[in-house]
This record gives sequence, C-alpha cells and structure tokens, in this order.
Amino acid sequence: MTLYILPKEQLPVFVDKLKADFRVVGPVKTETGFAFDDIKQAEQLKLDYPTTILPPKKYFLPQREVLFNYHTSINEKGARQIDTEPVFQDVQPTIIFGVHTCDMTGISLYDKVFLEGFKDEHYLARREQILIIGIECLKPCDDASFCKDMGTLTAPPVYDLHMTEVESRYLIDTGSEKGEELLQKYGEVKLATTDDIRDLSRTLSAKWPRFRHRLKMSRDQLPSLLTINYGAITWDHLGERCLACGSCTNVCPTCFCFDVQDELDINMQDGQRTRLWDSCQLHEFALVAGGHNFRESKASRIRHRFMRKGKYIHQVHDILGCTGCGRCERACLVNITIPGTLNALHDEMQLDANPAAG
Amino acid sequence: MPAKPKIAFFDFSSCEGCQLTVIDALQTHLGLLDQVEIVQFREAMTEKQDTYQIAFVEGSCTREADEDRLRAIRKQAAVVVALGACAHLGGVNSMKNRWAIGNVQTYVYGEKNKETYPSYPARPISAVINVDAAIPGCPIDRFEFLHIVQMMLQGRVPKLPDYPLCVECKLSENACLNTLGKPCLGPITRAGCNAICTTYGDGCEGCRGFAPEPNFEYMREILRGHGLSETEIDARFTMFNHYQLQQMGEDAPLSPEGLQSLNGELPTSTFAAPKEAEGHG
Repeated sequence: MTLYILPKEQLPVFVDKLKADFRVVGPVKTETGFAFDDIKQAEQLKLDYPTTILPPKKYFLPQREVLFNYHTSINEKGARQIDTEPVFQDVQPTIIFGVHTCDMTGISLYDKVFLEGFKDEHYLARREQILIIGIECLKPCDDASFCKDMGTLTAPPVYDLHMTEVESRYLIDTGSEKGEELLQKYGEVKLATTDDIRDLSRTLSAKWPRFRHRLKMSRDQLPSLLTINYGAITWDHLGERCLACGSCTNVCPTCFCFDVQDELDINMQDGQRTRLWDSCQLHEFALVAGGHNFRESKASRIRHRFMRKGKYIHQVHDILGCTGCGRCERACLVNITIPGTLNALHDEMQLDANPAAG
Repeated sequence: MPAKPKIAFFDFSSCEGCQLTVIDALQTHLGLLDQVEIVQFREAMTEKQDTYQIAFVEGSCTREADEDRLRAIRKQAAVVVALGACAHLGGVNSMKNRWAIGNVQTYVYGEKNKETYPSYPARPISAVINVDAAIPGCPIDRFEFLHIVQMMLQGRVPKLPDYPLCVECKLSENACLNTLGKPCLGPITRAGCNAICTTYGDGCEGCRGFAPEPNFEYMREILRGHGLSETEIDARFTMFNHYQLQQMGEDAPLSPEGLQSLNGELPTSTFAAPKEAEGHG
C-alpha cells in the first residue's frame, strides 16, 4: 500500500521497540542451521537466513496444542459427568519477523483451511494476535528450492509489512492497517522517494535470473498431470524407497493434518484434549476401525501426498498445496523430491503417449 | 470404590535400570500409588505378597531356570507386561547369541568358572510366556510407562506409536543426524521416547525395536553413506534386535557374514578376551 524506508542500522532499534509490546519471533542461528525462535536480543534476528527445518506454521498450529481441559466425576444421580473448560494456547500479541514469500504462501493456505467456512476458534484466537513481517527473497535458499516454478517468488497479500533489502536500507511495504500502525508507532521510517522506488525496482528485476526452473511443466498443468498419472509406475518406485518417516509432511509449510487425543492426568479424572500434528505418510493415518487401511502401501501414501499438493487442495481452496520451499527434499534421506517426482511422471506420460520413443 | 489393582515387579537378565525409571516416575507422579498397590518390588521395598493382578517383568530369559519362574508369574497375573528392551526384545543380552554358548561362558567367567552359571541364548519373555503389553526402551520412558499403566487401568489395550522416531525428531526441529554424518537408526526404529538420544546429538541405536514398516534396504544404504562397513551395519542392526533378526532367519536384512553369525556360529568373540580375573575369589 505505502512504501517506507528503514536504514539498516535502525533495524535492531525497531526490533527492540517491538519487543516491549510483542512476542517477537524470527529466524535465528542454531548449531546446525537456522530456526524460527523467540528473539531475545535484536542482533539474533538473521534476515539473510537460507531456510529453516520447520516453517513458521508452528506458530499457527503448534506441534501439540491443548484444546480443552476436562474433569470427569460421578454426579448425585450416580451418572458419569464430564465438565470441560476451553483452552486457547499460545494466544499473545506476536510478530513473526522475516517470513519468506514461500512461507507466506503457506500461511495464506492455512488461513483458507482454518478460517473459511467453519472457523477453527483455536486457530482464529492465535491468528488474530499474529502480525507477519515478510522478507523479499533475493536469491534461492539452496539447490532444493523451486519457488520460481511454484510462483511463490512474490509476496501473497498476507503480510502486515514486507521488507526488501536494497543496499543500505530496507524498503518496507505496508500490507495492512495494523502494519501501518506498527511502523508509525515503533519504526523510525521515512516515506520512500522516487529514487528509492527506482532502486527497489532494479533490485527486484535483478533477482529473477538467480532462481532456476526445475519443473519440466508449468504449475498450471499439475492437476491434470496428476490426474492422468494416478496409475503411474513411478509411485511404486517411490514406495520402495520411502522410509515412511513422515518427515516430508512435518516440515511442509502447507501440511495441516492433525490427530486429536485425550491425555489423562495421573489422578485418572482430569485430563486434556490435545491436537497433534499427524502425517498421511504414516501407516496408521488411514487405518479405520475393523483394521482396514485405505492406504496400506507406502506407494499409495506417497501418491496421496502428491495428489493433495498438486490437485485436491487446488480443487478445494483454489491454491496449490506446494510452495516450492524445498524443505521436504532437504528432509528426505532417500532423495524423494517433488520436482524429481513430477518430472518422472511427465516423462512416463511422454513414454506412454509415444511407446516407440521408449 | 473397588480395590486397587495389585502390581508386582520382577527382574530377569537385566541391569534393573527400567525399574529404577519406575522408581523415578513415582517420585514425580506419586499419585500413581492412589491408583495401584505395589505388592512386590525387590529393588524398592522389602515387603512381599504373592497375589497380584499386573506383573511387570524386566530382563530377558537366558537360563532354563528362568522359564519356570516366568510361567509362575504368568499363572498368577491377569496381565503381564514386558518392561524395557531386554524383556521386550531380548535387548543387548541377545548379542551373545552370535557365539556358541560355551565360548560366551568362557569369555565372561573364565576357563576355570565357565560351568558355574549355565545359560543359553537370550530371548524376550514373549518367547516363553504370553505377554499382554510391552513398554519398550533402554531404559523405558517414564511417561510412556505411566501412560500405559493408565490405559490398562481404564481397561484399554495399551498401544505403542507405530511410526519411526523421525517423526518425534522433526517435531522437535532437530537437525537430522544422518545428514550431519552421524549414523542414526531413527528411520527404522519405533518412536515413543520423544527422540531423547537424537535431541542430545547421539544417533539412535534402536533400543525400542523396529518400527512396523522398516525399510532395511535403504537404511543400510544410508549407513553405507556414512562409510560404515557391512559388518558395522550388521552390528548396529543386531545391537538390541538380534533376536528379532534371528526370527527372520534367511530374510534378516544382514550381510552374508551377518546371516552366518545369527545363530551362534561365530567361533570366538571378535572382542579382545578379558584377562582372567585375578584375585577374584
């Protein structure tokens, strides 16, 4: 909406001021890489981080979340009675700093899943308190990235503020009124001049050639590619390799499936109903009463994951379920990759269409 | 209110570390004693009753004399629970199954005393008696112990996680040890320990047994990538799970040499023999 400039040396001051009123989280250096974590000192914030193991989705849907406490008792009529008390976990004014454009795309999908139609009140309570400060990606995280293919190199309209590093300053775009207020109240910013905007434009134009394409097809073709290749032999090959460890879905910024469990206290009367991350790659996921499993084989589970990413989610939410962030590829010990798989399907289809070529 | 179920603890070939974990669990969750009455627990108390409903058994069966004791426990208890890796899998004790038993006894007790303690290949207690539930791990996880006891008190069938350790590691946002050059059996090992070893930087050694769908072939491939020899990979696979691999017979995911050594066919220990204990007795 409006463009401002913040000199780079002013960033720690901005962060420190925000910390007075918000929980500020962002990418910090760990022993082995980077992770989103609480910013205790402004200097910890590393906006030039390549990627993280888990995306910032953990602040929207925690790995383990208490939904309500319960208490069971026997009432005066001798019947079992259950009293519940709702819990809204991790609800506090929070700023997520330094979110890449791919992860913002993941957050926009989360918003659709949890807030369109039936509103998930636990998600909503947290979401209303979260402000997103994005960072423009000027180079790919590493070779696993394929954001350019997935069209996530520009920021979706989910940010409150979005920063682009331009030489000695950040150009900051405001995406919401809350973002605007944030800058006015906590930031030492000036309105961008024509020269600033020209520099920004040059920076943004220069970034595109640094990102490469990895898919042999355009993303618009994914729903049809997956439909046609439902019976492809590629799935069986992947099923042989897959460790069924669920790492690909746990690190995915768009995977949102969860399990709900009751955790009983030691007194056997009180307890908590919890929501936990689940994964369609695990054997138990599609197991139902009576012992039938809708996706018994690993091949069928991998296929399901790809169908979700490239077709089913698109059908329901009008947005692809993959952001091209590359996390699943980095997490997979047997080198099952999204570009590799989609390209294999593409090749298999060419072969089927023209058997003589094979 | 119905009488509290009586529970008893027993030990066979083990270090008793799992029972220590139970004692530890009681310190933080004393309320458990409002739910159950402990009537036999050699490591923790002197009093002893021989009537109990739930028996927790730690340790593997490694001697003929163990069998009668196990059967007596089974006869008395309505529910028998294998407590920890030794009772559940055979555990590290089953490593001895690679050598002829006579050689093992000589190795441990020396030439002079090799006949003193007769033993045979180590097995989980389920090889001798029916077992209703297992609490895996070396040692057990105290929270899983409490959880399983609670499930039994509710009349439910205790259930273990049926997915690999990697799930818990990722949820903790640990960097994958296998990608950092540290061999880790997490991808083929049953979760439930909340990834305690890997969170502290040690590769998983498989103490909770194999996950239900272990991809042994690609696990070996990953370990080869660390520069481990086939023998070293066999050693990692068999550290806690030798008995399980024995049960798989020719299908065991071991190298040809590893397969040969499954059933006590190694002539002598590959480790240096300890010196004959001097001044002992």
